[in-house]
Amino acid sequence: MALADSNNHFVLLVLLRWRLFANSLHRPSRRAELGLRILWSLLIGIFILVTSAAFFGLTLALLKTGRSELLDIALLFILLIWQLGPILFEGYSPGLNFREVARYPISFRLYFLLTVAYGASDSVAITCSIWLLCMWVGVLVARPDLALAAAFAFLLFAIFNLLCNRIIVGLFERFQSTRKGRERIVFITLILLLTPQLLQFSARAWLNGHAFKLPSSLLPTLARVRDLLPSGLTAHIFLFEGPNALQAIAGLLLITGFIFLLLFRQLRAVFQGEIYSEAYTVHRELTVRQGWQVPTVDEVTSAIVEKELRYLRQNSRLILQLIYPPVVFLLLIFNGPVRKFPFATKPSGLLAGLAGFLLLSLPNLSYNTFGMDKEGFGRWLLSPLPLRKVFLAKNLTHGGILTLLYLVVTAIVIAVAHVDLLNVATVTVSFFAVLILQLAAGNLISVYWPKRIELTQMNSKMSSNAAGFASLLVIFPIMAIFGLIALAAWNWQLSWLPLVLGIVLLAGGYKLYSYLLDRSVAYTYAHIEEISGNLGV
Amino acid sequence: MAETVLQTRALCRRFGPLLAVDNLDLTVEKQQFYGFLGPNGAGKSTTIKMLTGLLRPTSGEVQILGRNLGQDSVEIKRRIGVVPEGLALFERLTGAQLLNFVGRMYGLDRAKAAERSAELLAFMDLNDSADKLVADYSHGMKKKTALAAAVIHGPEILFLDEPFEGVDAVAATTLKRLLQRFISHGGTVFLTSHVLEVVERLCTHIGIIQNGRLVASGSLEELRSGVQIAGHDHSPLTLEEIFLQVVGGAKQDADVLTWL
Repeated sequence: MALADSNNHFVLLVLLRWRLFANSLHRPSRRAELGLRILWSLLIGIFILVTSAAFFGLTLALLKTGRSELLDIALLFILLIWQLGPILFEGYSPGLNFREVARYPISFRLYFLLTVAYGASDSVAITCSIWLLCMWVGVLVARPDLALAAAFAFLLFAIFNLLCNRIIVGLFERFQSTRKGRERIVFITLILLLTPQLLQFSARAWLNGHAFKLPSSLLPTLARVRDLLPSGLTAHIFLFEGPNALQAIAGLLLITGFIFLLLFRQLRAVFQGEIYSEAYTVHRELTVRQGWQVPTVDEVTSAIVEKELRYLRQNSRLILQLIYPPVVFLLLIFNGPVRKFPFATKPSGLLAGLAGFLLLSLPNLSYNTFGMDKEGFGRWLLSPLPLRKVFLAKNLTHGGILTLLYLVVTAIVIAVAHVDLLNVATVTVSFFAVLILQLAAGNLISVYWPKRIELTQMNSKMSSNAAGFASLLVIFPIMAIFGLIALAAWNWQLSWLPLVLGIVLLAGGYKLYSYLLDRSVAYTYAHIEEISGNLGV
Repeated sequence: MAETVLQTRALCRRFGPLLAVDNLDLTVEKQQFYGFLGPNGAGKSTTIKMLTGLLRPTSGEVQILGRNLGQDSVEIKRRIGVVPEGLALFERLTGAQLLNFVGRMYGLDRAKAAERSAELLAFMDLNDSADKLVADYSHGMKKKTALAAAVIHGPEILFLDEPFEGVDAVAATTLKRLLQRFISHGGTVFLTSHVLEVVERLCTHIGIIQNGRLVASGSLEELRSGVQIAGHDHSPLTLEEIFLQVVGGAKQDADVLTWL
């Protein structure tokens, strides 16, 4: 009877996983969004197929060529993906909160098993299991004599990964109990993701001039560390024989046992009712400061600009996305590799590239302009002001931020390289022409495909998939137009042509902006319920 | 003759095949405390959304303060205050910043907005939380903040969608104090609520909606005189008794949940 009950629980859990996935597909109200999600799922499916074949081929090749000592690197890759993937790819907010499951009338044993089973049904865990299976098939084909030992080793390795991942998810859930904790994790994760790229950019030039070699004394230590990692021990179980294999089995069992105890302790605490939540002991005198007054604009616009900037200040992810492109670009400038690109042979080319880089980050800011407002979208509708004014004030804020960034980086470029006035004027006029076109498109896209942004979830994007796709449809024609202008100027040797056409584009952009703004406002009023629904009002 | 501040004529709202609000004719007069009641899904929130510009009517007309909502929405919005269903708060602002911001949206200058924000925060017992993000407020605190945001500009009519839902007794008392003060200063309140005791105590007039249609409307005394319950003694009917009689009453316990 008890077994039947447990089985029911597991079936329920699998059904719940499926239902969460199916419901997530129903959520987007637009066909374009759903279509892109299906396309994305197909791409992921193809990726899994290709990588699985690669794991099989790699295992086969390493064993056939006698380089089996490198197998542990493939296992280390699987280990890293298994542990970090569910956090990075799915967000660390699993569909089901196991702190809630613990409140149901189930035994701790069943609770433990359900937690682990839920982890096993995670898409990343399934992918990693497929990779392990492919590696095992590779072993079976290349060295059938090792297949049995490899099966045991891979099984133990999978159990280790499963348990370890549940500990990590549990820790994230614990941090997730508080809003500040959630936001800090998102920010730290982003920094961790971006740091290697920044290091890579800054190190590349240095390495170009310096022959880089690891100190020879460090190599044996690194090899030893590799051997002691669960991935190394797993490989040794079936690659070694006799006492060495037994040592590896003992080592992996010991680590897995330790992880099991840690998870047991963690889940026991949750099962017994351990709760983490926001705690405040703030007692301060009431002070309400006056709002900001932005020069040259009216009170209401000032208030909206203030609100937008306060929101942006809380969105560390967006700040990072805005600052990252110019930082990378400046690193490239000072480190040299950018000079390999033809546009960077002249300082004016650098400036133009920089402006382009900056404008590429604008969709994050303005292609889902109500996404951060969420329920607050209703407040715009309740307020006694035309929506046109809200759009204008938001555009003013977003355009102002981009302009400020542009001015800072332009000043840096001009300081380090001589850029003649005509080129500065041309790039600046073109920058504003594209900026205004992007803002115009952003307004329309924001109301066509609004998306609620959850700052506390790693996988919550700044705009919908459809908006991302639409941004490409905006950027490519703009790039084509500017490419043609540059080509014409170069062909006919008319250095003033880009400036003149830039001014024409700016004027045309302004007209288009005004037209699309009216369309955006009209669309919003005509689709209030739909937009509100997508924003969770 | 009392001044009519809110009037709807043949107001309808359709969601696909569902007629959520069906030919609604409402009249609310100045300084009335109008309770709009109905079972779940009857059309209360849909109605209040249409009255405040959060939802377009499929057909019909809304007149507020003598103006047509479809034509003069900005002017009307300037003169009304709303606590909508989802509260519509910018939760990434602190309580003080939010009230300041809303005040300025309604045309208050910076100094006046700050002054009124401080007064409202003090009245609502939110002093200690004024510099905390609204996202971190409890549900009751959010409700109080939403009400403060609805009155900061000194509206003439307040529309409140379930203002007492999920609010503790202390917060409810604060809300009631504020609403009574508002009425005594010449304001008009239109609220929906499930808490019949509160409605009975506060409201001067009541409308009951069922399946999108207004099935009863008038003062509590008028409703009492219009409802007869067989076997009831001569004590005045409570609002709950009137409500259950009008909307069809509760299921007979003997027939359901026999296993409980």
